[in-house]
Amino acid sequence: MLLLLPAALFLGFIYLLPVIDLIRLSVSGPTVSTFFERVFSVPLYWDSLVRTMQISLTVATLCLLLGYPTALLIRRTSGMTRTLITAGVILPYFIAVLIRTYAWMVLLGRNGPVNKILTGLGLLDEPAQLLFNRGTVLLGMTAVLLPIMVLSIYSSVSRLDAALPRAAQASGAGPIATFWRILLPLTLPGMGAGFLLVFVAALGFFITPTLLGGPGDQMFAMHIVQQADFISSEGFLQALAVVLLVITLLFVGLAGHALGFEFIWGGGKLADGQARAGTSRKAAAPHWRLLTGMADRIVWPILRLLSRLHPAWGRWTVIILGGGVIATLILPILVVMVISFSSASYLTFPPPGFSLRWYEKFFSDPNWMEAFWKSSVIAAASAVISVVLGASAAMGIVRSNIRGKSVIMLLLVSPAIVPPVVLGLSLYSLFLRFDLVGTIWGLASAHAIGGIPLVVIIVSAALQGVDKRLEQAAAVHGASPLTVFRTVTLPAIAPGLAAAAFFAFLHSFDELVLSLFLSSAQLKTLPLMLWADINYQLNPVLAVVSSLEVLLVVIGLALAGPVLARSRAGA
Amino acid sequence: MTQRMTIWRVLPALAAMAVPLGLAEGARAQSKEVIVQDPGGAYGEALRKIMYGPFEKSTGIKVVTVQEARSGPRLKAQADAGKAAWDLAFIFDQETKLLGDCCLAEIDYKKLSESAQTTLAAMPDNLKRPKGVALQVIGVGLAWNKDKYKSGSEPQSWADFWDVKKFPGRRCMPAWSRFTFEAALMADGVQKDKLYPIDMERALKKLAEIKPHVTKWWATAAQPPQLLLDGEADMCMAYTGSMSKFALEGAPVGLTWNQGFVYYDFFSIPKGAPNYDNALKVLSWRLDPKRAAELTSNFPVALPSSVVFDAADPKTSVYWANNPKNLAQAIEWSPDYWGAASPDGRSTNEEHGQEKLNALLAK
Repeated sequence: MLLLLPAALFLGFIYLLPVIDLIRLSVSGPTVSTFFERVFSVPLYWDSLVRTMQISLTVATLCLLLGYPTALLIRRTSGMTRTLITAGVILPYFIAVLIRTYAWMVLLGRNGPVNKILTGLGLLDEPAQLLFNRGTVLLGMTAVLLPIMVLSIYSSVSRLDAALPRAAQASGAGPIATFWRILLPLTLPGMGAGFLLVFVAALGFFITPTLLGGPGDQMFAMHIVQQADFISSEGFLQALAVVLLVITLLFVGLAGHALGFEFIWGGGKLADGQARAGTSRKAAAPHWRLLTGMADRIVWPILRLLSRLHPAWGRWTVIILGGGVIATLILPILVVMVISFSSASYLTFPPPGFSLRWYEKFFSDPNWMEAFWKSSVIAAASAVISVVLGASAAMGIVRSNIRGKSVIMLLLVSPAIVPPVVLGLSLYSLFLRFDLVGTIWGLASAHAIGGIPLVVIIVSAALQGVDKRLEQAAAVHGASPLTVFRTVTLPAIAPGLAAAAFFAFLHSFDELVLSLFLSSAQLKTLPLMLWADINYQLNPVLAVVSSLEVLLVVIGLALAGPVLARSRAGA
Repeated sequence: MTQRMTIWRVLPALAAMAVPLGLAEGARAQSKEVIVQDPGGAYGEALRKIMYGPFEKSTGIKVVTVQEARSGPRLKAQADAGKAAWDLAFIFDQETKLLGDCCLAEIDYKKLSESAQTTLAAMPDNLKRPKGVALQVIGVGLAWNKDKYKSGSEPQSWADFWDVKKFPGRRCMPAWSRFTFEAALMADGVQKDKLYPIDMERALKKLAEIKPHVTKWWATAAQPPQLLLDGEADMCMAYTGSMSKFALEGAPVGLTWNQGFVYYDFFSIPKGAPNYDNALKVLSWRLDPKRAAELTSNFPVALPSSVVFDAADPKTSVYWANNPKNLAQAIEWSPDYWGAASPDGRSTNEEHGQEKLNALLAK
């Protein structure tokens, strides 16, 4: 119980308090609902809300359609191919959203490779405007969020007993019947979780639609940032944020009701000392059966028809779709890496010549170097805060017999689902009051709000893999709790801790939206410099920074890879 | 095991380094520095080269720049929390009134240098207010790519900008209600002395006409020249400063002041600024007529004082917004109208117009 205290105090101060203050400001108008009336009476905001939902729903659907074959592809391949495909999904997952969005800008720009190819083939007379429309927003967001979906589906695919499909086939079921009757129902929870995670994340998206969208693609989070430009918006601004927050929580609540809230932290249900959580899933069962029954009646005949096709079709569908997805995830990053060696002073592909001039510029520019250094320091500090608080909280949850573990877990993990724009806005006034704006520890703490959930999830998974009886055995033989922890528990969860530290570091290193609100003139992080340059001047220095970040992630994953694999094997 | 060890060894080491760095941050705030809001881009580079670089060398005071397009809301939030973070910020004309009481300090004009006093003496009183001094006269006008529209068939008014038959091609405009509403009304035949108060519905109707031809509604000053030179747009409503910089460098950029907009950016010291005296020193430096004129030869945004105008190279001052020739063609843009409360009383005219424009653009 005591172990939970530090994390609870920290999050209470830096996360719950500001959010409460945000809500207080939003109702501080002449009447409680003044500001909210404006949100809902001006068509602009209402339309944008509807648009945000449409975009998020489309993106989640696209991710599902593309992510499923990819997850199957990972399962079906083996050896080197599998490693490569997995890397193709995991690598983009760890690269900053900002950088991946920038890669799409390069790819689709007027002088980008796509336009070059289309004009080269004679399909276009002159380069077309491919950017700044709904299509590019959907494409960019889907590409950014797809890894979450693939990983989520893969986690349930991988748990599948390989004997089941074989048994089905042995009993005479074709590949399509096996898919519909076995694979699909058993992977449904993974699909549902992935769908909701993507949908909820998309609701609060700011970076990708800002950079890739046109004026017709304004998403709700963008209005919040835009309104921050007007002096007289206080209260109204907060009301916009509260609306976004409430809607996000509403969807998470509905999803949690249907799926159990475990979907947020990826399945692992907690053995609760008192009662079992997630009874709601059983309550939902009747509608569920009705729905699946209906789906069965409609889709099954169609699939029967399809099954007359040659069996290779199914395999090829998976390979082509999955392969296409991997290509879409990796290609933009490769193009950016090539452009970083360009000799031209503007973005064009293929580069007219190769040189290291942009690398020279990056390493000789004190501003970029300082930003790089400060980002590293902030990320390290943030990782330390996250690991210390998050790991002790995870211990507190997993190794005690308190009531309501799921509720506590939900609270600890909830910062991961609050839109960053809302968090940034609410933190700004707190930071001003306590003189934290633009301080290294301030920014590191703010980033730790998102880092703690990562650590809690990973470490509690690792802890559940440790046999409790080992600890008990040590205690019975007279070891003090501290000795038990040091000699038994710590070595067992060390791989998990290392992985958690790495994720928390990256989370902070890549963070942009909170920094936009909370940084100052003296403290410019790498993502902030990138953001300013993308808005002011697109040049190959950005490609250099992006390539270096990719390198960093690859090295980090290579170091953490074996550790991660071990922790997975242990769990 | 060894790999695990490397991660563990690195983390505490990095954390240990963070401590002295964090302390240094706090210590530096008390030392010799001044925090100045900065427009960024080519203008920011010119300021660094002509103003802040030499200033640092001569005074030993470090000039820290914050790139931020609009300072008003930040100043307000800082003042509300009682923690001013900046020493010198530029704000819109209308904001000197909106922010005056809450957030801005009085400028101690007596403490400014002698050369600054001569510049100030030649400025109209309205531009040297107790809580703000106009350091930049800004122009917004009609610019085009000269390769696309040859001389003799160049657009000359907002009516031409709207005339896509006579002047086919892509347009770009700022994504703001200010300027675009006025231009739309002039294109619709409203006389320039009858613009205010703005008939928003009429302006929006006219903007809807041009909307299909606008490829980009831009948000930062650096965008329109880039769009024009990359061929993303052929004709733009743009800041004259960034456009004329390219014209001076020989880029195929044409520019007209006819029906352009002229306004002033005010420089203010926030209430409770951490380095008030240093802010005054920067102000003195920037108000020095010789340096101010030199700045404009690197980036043609002028200081609105006849002393500076006289000290400048005529080749660059043809592009200045306060060149009498240009002023005669431009319209007198009304900050008072945009800063006034909107008809429904919920916001300012600017915010109200912005909401309507956003709704139109989103369609």
